[in-house]
Amino acid sequence: MLGARIREAAWGYGFVSVPLAVFGLFFLYPFGYAFYISFFHWGILGKQAGGGGMFNYAKVIHDPIFHTALKNVLEYTVGVVPLTMALGLALALVINQKIRGREFFRSAFYFPSIASSVAITTIALYIFNANGLLNHIIGSRTPWFQNASTATWAIVGLNSWTSAGTAMLFYLAALQSIPTDVYEAAAVDNTGAWRTFWRITFPLLRPAHFFILVVFGIGALKIFDQQFIVSAGQGGPNYSTYTAVLYIYREAFTQFDFGVAAAAGVILFLVIFAFTVVQWLTIGRQEAA
Amino acid sequence: MTFQTVAAEPFVPRRARSDVARRVFLYAVILAVAAVFLIPFVWTLATSFKTIPDSANITLIPHPWTTSAWRTIWTQYDFKTYIENSVFLAVVITVCNIFLAGLGGYAFARLRFPGRNLLFFLVLGTLMMPDQLRLIPVFVMLTNWHLIGNFSGYILINLVTATNLFFMRQYFLTIPKDFEEAAKLDGAGYLKTFWRVMLPLALPAISALVILQFQGTWNDFFWPLILFGQGNAAHYTVQLGLAELDFQYTVLWPQICVGSIVAILPILAIFLAFQRYFVSGVVSAGVKG
Repeated sequence: MLGARIREAAWGYGFVSVPLAVFGLFFLYPFGYAFYISFFHWGILGKQAGGGGMFNYAKVIHDPIFHTALKNVLEYTVGVVPLTMALGLALALVINQKIRGREFFRSAFYFPSIASSVAITTIALYIFNANGLLNHIIGSRTPWFQNASTATWAIVGLNSWTSAGTAMLFYLAALQSIPTDVYEAAAVDNTGAWRTFWRITFPLLRPAHFFILVVFGIGALKIFDQQFIVSAGQGGPNYSTYTAVLYIYREAFTQFDFGVAAAAGVILFLVIFAFTVVQWLTIGRQEAA
Repeated sequence: MTFQTVAAEPFVPRRARSDVARRVFLYAVILAVAAVFLIPFVWTLATSFKTIPDSANITLIPHPWTTSAWRTIWTQYDFKTYIENSVFLAVVITVCNIFLAGLGGYAFARLRFPGRNLLFFLVLGTLMMPDQLRLIPVFVMLTNWHLIGNFSGYILINLVTATNLFFMRQYFLTIPKDFEEAAKLDGAGYLKTFWRVMLPLALPAISALVILQFQGTWNDFFWPLILFGQGNAAHYTVQLGLAELDFQYTVLWPQICVGSIVAILPILAIFLAFQRYFVSGVVSAGVKG
C-alpha cells in the first residue's frame, strides 16, 4: 500500500516536472532576476563593473521621455477603457434583444478582437492615412498617426473598436445571468426602459464592470503593438506614441541599457499593481459587499 | 387575406405599433454598426486586387483588377517563408501545450503527492507575472544560452503556459473517476491511463486549447519581435513580415492589404469553424478572473 502511494507520488512529480521547470525558469526566477538587474549597470555583455544601487531608477524617474511615455499611456487608458466599456455594453444590449441574425452580428462585432493586432493596425494605417477612406468620409486631410496631437486618440478609437467585441461578450454573459423576475417587477411598476436600464440593469452589472475595468485597464497600461506599428518602432512623432513598454523596449534594444529597461519594467509593474489594488479597494469591495 | 389584415388594424394596440418602430430603429442601428465593423475588412480585400495608383482612389471596385499584389507578396516579399515559420511555431507550441498542460493538469487534478497544493499555487502565481517585467531577465537568460535569433528560445518559453495547465486541470476535475478505476483494474499504469483514457475524454478541452493557443501564437508580435525579429528575415513570422512591410514600403497599399489578409485569414477560418470555443473561452476566462 505504501509502495503504491510512493509510486503515485513519483508519477505525479514526473508529470508536473516539465511544466514546473518552465514556470520556475521563465516566470518565477525572472521575477527576482528583474529586480537584481535593475540595480546594476547592465549592457549586452552582461553586468558591468561597479556596485549596485538605485541609479537606474533615478535615471528613469528623471527621464522626460519616460514622463511623456507614462503620460501617453495614462491618457490612452483613460480614453480607451470607458469608451470600450460603453461600446461593449451598447453592443451587448442590442445583441441581447430578440433579433434576426444575432449570431452573425455577434461574430461580426467580436471578430476584430481575435484578429492580429499587427494586421488590424496595418488596416488602420491604410484607412486613417491622409488620403484614406476615413478622411474622405469626414472631409479632412489629417494624417492621424503622423500628427503628434491626434496619434494617441486615433489609437484610442482604433482599439476601442477592436476590443469592444470582447467587452460585449463579457457583458452579454452578465446580462444573461440577471434573473428575469427583476425585470418583471419593473414592468409591473410600469418603469420605462431608460429608467429600468439605469436603475436596475446597470447596477446589477457591477461585477462585469469591475472585471472589464481591471482587465482592460491592465491591458491598456501595457499597450505596445499598435504604437510600435504606427511609428515604425520610433514612438514618434515628437514622442507622441511612446508608451511605457515601448520605453522599456527601446532602452533595451536601441540603447542596450538593460539595467534602465529592467528598472522601468519594475516601475510599470508597480503602477499596474497599484492600479489593480485601488480598483479592488474601491469598486471591487463594494461588489463583494 | 387582405380583408383580415384590414379588419385586424383597429385592434392593434398602440404599444405594438411603437414596438414596430422600435424594431426598425434597432435593425437600423445594428446594421450601421455592423457596417462599421465590416467595411474596413471589405475595403482591405478590395484594395488587395488593385494596382498601386488605383489604391489611392476611394473606390470599392478595383479598376483594373489585378492579382499582382498577391503574386508579389508570395515571391518578392517572401510571405511564403513567413507563413511556413508562423505555421511551424503555432503547431509545435500547440502540440507541446496539449501534452505538457495535459500531463500537468492530470497530475494536479488526480494524482496525490506531497506539496501538490503548494505547487499548484505557484502555477497560479505565474498567471500574475507580467510580460514587461520578465522581458529583460528572460532576454538576458536566453542570450547567455545562445537561444536568441532563432526559434528555440521562443519555443522553450512557450512549451506550456499556466493558463493551459489550469484549464486542463479544471476539465479533468469534471471527468468521473470510474473511467480511471476501470483502467486501473485492467492493470494500466498512470501514463497509459493518461494517454488512453484521460486525454481522449478531454477532447472538448483540447479543442478549445488548440484553437486559442494556435491563435495566440499566430498573432503574437511582442516576443517574436524581441527574440528573433531584429536580424535575419528568414526567421520572420507573418506578423513580423507584415510590420516590416508597413515600415519599408509605405506606398505599396495593395501588398500591405494582402499581407493583412494573410495575417488574418487563418484565424478567420478557425473562428468561423469553431466560434463557440472562442466565445466559451472568453467567458470562462471571465469566470476565472
